[in-house]
Amino acid sequence: MIKFEHVSKTYPNGVKGLKDINLEIQDGEFIGIIGMSGAGKSTFIRTINRLNDITEGKLTVDGIEISKLKGQELRHYRRKVGMIFQSYNLVPRISVIKNVMSSLVPDMPFVRVLFGLFSKEEKVRALEALDRVSMLDKAFVRTDQLSGGQQQRVSLARTLTQNPSVLLADEPVAALDPVTAHEVMDDFKRINEELGQTVLINIHHVDLALEYSKRIIGIRAGAVVYDGPASEITSDILDLIYSKEEAK
Amino acid sequence: MSWYDKLFEAESYTLTNGKKVSQKFTRLPLIIMLFLIAITISVWVTGFSVVTLFTNFTGFWKLFGSMFPPNWSYFPKIWQPLLMTIQMSFIGSFFGALVALPFAILAANNVTNNRVINLTIRFILTVVRTIPTLVSALIATYIFGLGTFAGTIAIFLFSFSFVGKQLFEYIETVNMGAYEALVATGANPSRAFVTTILPQILPTYLSTSLFAFEGNVRYAAILGYVGAGGIGMILNEKIGWREFQSVGMILLAIFIAVIIIETVSQQLRKYLS
Amino acid sequence: MNKKLEAVLSKEPHRGLQYGITVIILLILLFSSTPALGGAHMTSKGFEIGRNILTGIFTPDTSLLFGLGDSGVMYLILQTIAIAFLGTLVGAIIAVPLSFISATNIVPKPVVVVTRFIIMAIRTVPSLVYGLMFIRVTGPGPFAGVMTLAIVSIGMISKLFIETIEDLDEGILESLDAFGSTLFQKIRYGVLPQLGPDFISILVYRFDMNLREATILGLVGAGGIGAPMIFALSAYHWHQVGAILIGLFVLVFVVEILSDKLRHKILRG
Ligand SMILES: Nc1ncnc2c1ncn2[C@@H]1O[C@H](COP(=O)(O)OP(=O)(O)O)[C@@H](O)[C@H]1O
Ligand SMILES: [Mg+2]
Repeated sequence: MIKFEHVSKTYPNGVKGLKDINLEIQDGEFIGIIGMSGAGKSTFIRTINRLNDITEGKLTVDGIEISKLKGQELRHYRRKVGMIFQSYNLVPRISVIKNVMSSLVPDMPFVRVLFGLFSKEEKVRALEALDRVSMLDKAFVRTDQLSGGQQQRVSLARTLTQNPSVLLADEPVAALDPVTAHEVMDDFKRINEELGQTVLINIHHVDLALEYSKRIIGIRAGAVVYDGPASEITSDILDLIYSKEEAK
Repeated sequence: MSWYDKLFEAESYTLTNGKKVSQKFTRLPLIIMLFLIAITISVWVTGFSVVTLFTNFTGFWKLFGSMFPPNWSYFPKIWQPLLMTIQMSFIGSFFGALVALPFAILAANNVTNNRVINLTIRFILTVVRTIPTLVSALIATYIFGLGTFAGTIAIFLFSFSFVGKQLFEYIETVNMGAYEALVATGANPSRAFVTTILPQILPTYLSTSLFAFEGNVRYAAILGYVGAGGIGMILNEKIGWREFQSVGMILLAIFIAVIIIETVSQQLRKYLS
Repeated sequence: MNKKLEAVLSKEPHRGLQYGITVIILLILLFSSTPALGGAHMTSKGFEIGRNILTGIFTPDTSLLFGLGDSGVMYLILQTIAIAFLGTLVGAIIAVPLSFISATNIVPKPVVVVTRFIIMAIRTVPSLVYGLMFIRVTGPGPFAGVMTLAIVSIGMISKLFIETIEDLDEGILESLDAFGSTLFQKIRYGVLPQLGPDFISILVYRFDMNLREATILGLVGAGGIGAPMIFALSAYHWHQVGAILIGLFVLVFVVEILSDKLRHKILRG
C-alpha cells in the first residue's frame, strides 16, 4: 500500500511541483494519472521511487517511510518499484536480452557484474519477461533495430524481470502511434491482471487513461483535483482538470 | 562465419511454458583472440617495449624542456615562412576545392546519370586521395623542384580529393524533386542544376572547403620537411642545428596561427550550417 | 502577409551584397597568396622524372613487390600496419582518461578549458617533430613510429571521444538508478555499453588515418614504408618507387574499405 500524507514538493528553484497530496493506493490497483503538461504528473510518480525527494509530508510504502531510506536500503526498496520512462532508456547498440538482464544486475555478486556473466536461469527469466510482452523472437536482436513500440515493450520486460510489486510508468505511450499505444497499454493491463502488480501510469491522453484505468487521479498545478473511479469522470471534471486558470 | 557456428554449438533455452529459443555462440572469444594475436604480431614487428618507454622517457622531456623558453628574438625570421605556409594552404585549398566541384558533380550518380563517368571520376578521386600528402609533396619536389610550389601542388591534390569525395557523397543525398520538375518542363539541365541543386549544396561545399583549409594549415607545417617550402623548412633546419629554443618559437608560432585560423574558420562554418 | 513578402524580398539584395563581399575578400586573399606559386621551375628533367615515375608504376620491381624478405614491400606493409595499429591503441589509452576530464558533463568548466587547451597544443605539433623527440626515447625504427602516431592521434581521438561522452543518454542512467543500481553498476551497464561502440568506431577511423601517417614516418627514421621509398626516389630507382607506390596504394585503399565496413557494422548493426 502506498500512502501520501500532506505530501508537498518544492523544487530548488521555488517551483511547487506537488501541493499537499493525500491519498492511498491499494495493492493491485490500475491507476491513470492525468493532467496538463507541467501539472506535476511526473513529479508525483517520481516521488514514489525517490527519483524525486519530497520536501514536506510523509510518503509510506508498505508501512515504510521512504524519505528515510538511504544508500543500500533505498536501492533495495527500488527493486520493488519498477519504473518505465517515455524515452525507453535502452542502450541502443547491445542486444535486447542484455538490456533486459541489466535489471538483474543489482542482485548479482561483484565478479559476475564486472564481467557481465549471467546464469542460464537469469537468461530464462529475461526471456520469459520478453515472452510476456510478445518480444521473445527479438531477444537476440540489437535494440536499435526495433521500432519505438517494440522498444517500450523491451523496457517493460526489463522492469518485469526485476519482479517489482509496483509498476510506475511516466507517459510510456506518448511517443507512440495510436495502434502501438493500445498494444503497449494492453500489455500493462494484462500484467496487472495476471501478476497482480500495482500499476500507476501517467497519460496525458485522456481517452486512453479512461479506457484502461479503473481509478483516475487528476492533477492540476501540483494539486489533486480529482481522485475516483474512471467511470465517474464527467466533462465538468475534465474541464476542471484541464482548465487554464491557476487552481486556488 | 558459418564455420564458427558449426564449431561452437548454439545455446538453447526452454521457457516454463515450453517455448524454446536458441542463441548463437558468442563471437567475443574469437574477437578477443584475433585482437591479442594482432597485438602480439605488432609488438614483435615494431619492437615496442613498455620498459624502454618508461626507462628512457626522460629523453623526451629533456628535449621538450630544451625548447623553453622559446627564443623570442627569432620571431622576426619566422613570420615570413609562416605566412608563406598559410599562403600555400590557401591557394592549394582554393584551387583544390574549385576543381573538386565539377568532379563531384560528375561523380554523383543522381546528377550525372552515366555509370562510366561516375566510376571513372570516383576512381581518380580515390587514387589521388590514397597517396599521402607528404608523399605527393615529395614527388612534386622531384618534378617541380624544391620550393613552395611543390607544397602547393600537394595541398591542392589533397583538397581536391577530399572535397571531391565529401561533396559527391553529399550531392547524392540532396532533394532532386525541384530539379526533376524543372528538367521535365524542358529547362536546360545545367540551368536547372544552378537554380535548384547548387543552393542546396553550397553551404556544405563551402564548409567542407574551409575544413580542408584548416587541416591544410596544420599539415603544411611539415611539408617543408621534404623541401616543399614554408615554415617546415626552417623547422627542419633548426632541428638539424639543434637550436631547440628556436624550434620552440616556431612551434609556438604555428600553434597561435593554427588557433586563430581554426577559430575564424569554425565560426564561419557555424554560420554556414 | 504583405509585410512577410516584403521582408523576404528585402533579404534578396542583402544576399547579393554578401556574396559580392565574400568574392572580393576571396580574390584579395588569393592575390596576396600568389607568392606560394613561386619557385616552380619545371624543367625538362622534372618532366622526365614524372614520366619515369609513371613508367615505374606500370613496370614495378616485382621481386621487391612480392618478395617476402624484410626489405620486401609485403613486410613493409605489415610493419606499417603494425605501427598504425599499436599507435592507435597507445593513443587511445592516453586519450580515454584525457577525454573524461575534458567533458563538460563530467568535470567543471574551468577544468575543461585547461584540458582542452592541452589537447589543442598536443595536436598542433607536427608529427615529424614528435618523431624526432621519440627517437631519443626509443632509438630510430618502428617503435618511435608507434609512439609518434600515439601522440598525434590523441588530439582527434579525444575530440571525438569527448563529443560521444557529452552525448551520453542520461535517461539510461536514470533507469538504472530507478531499479537500484550502484554507481559502479551504472558505469558498467549504463556508460560502457553506450560509449564502447562509438569509441571503437572512432578508433577504427583513426587507425585508417594513422596508416596514412605511418607511411611518412620513414622520413625521420621512424619505420614504415616511407623510408625505402625515399631511398628509391633519391637513387632514381623508378621500378622500386613504382613497386612501393603500388603497395602503398593497395594498402591504404583496402584498409579504407575494410574500416568503412567495420564502422558501418559497429554503428548500424
Ligand atoms: N527538476 C526540476 N526543477 C525545477 N522545476 C521542475 C523540475 N522538474 C519539473 N519542474 C516543474 O514542476 C512542474 C511539474 O512538472 P512535471 O511533474 O514534469 O509535470 P508533468 O509531468 O505533468 O508535465 C512544472 O512546472 C515543471 O516546470
Ligand atoms: Mg511529465
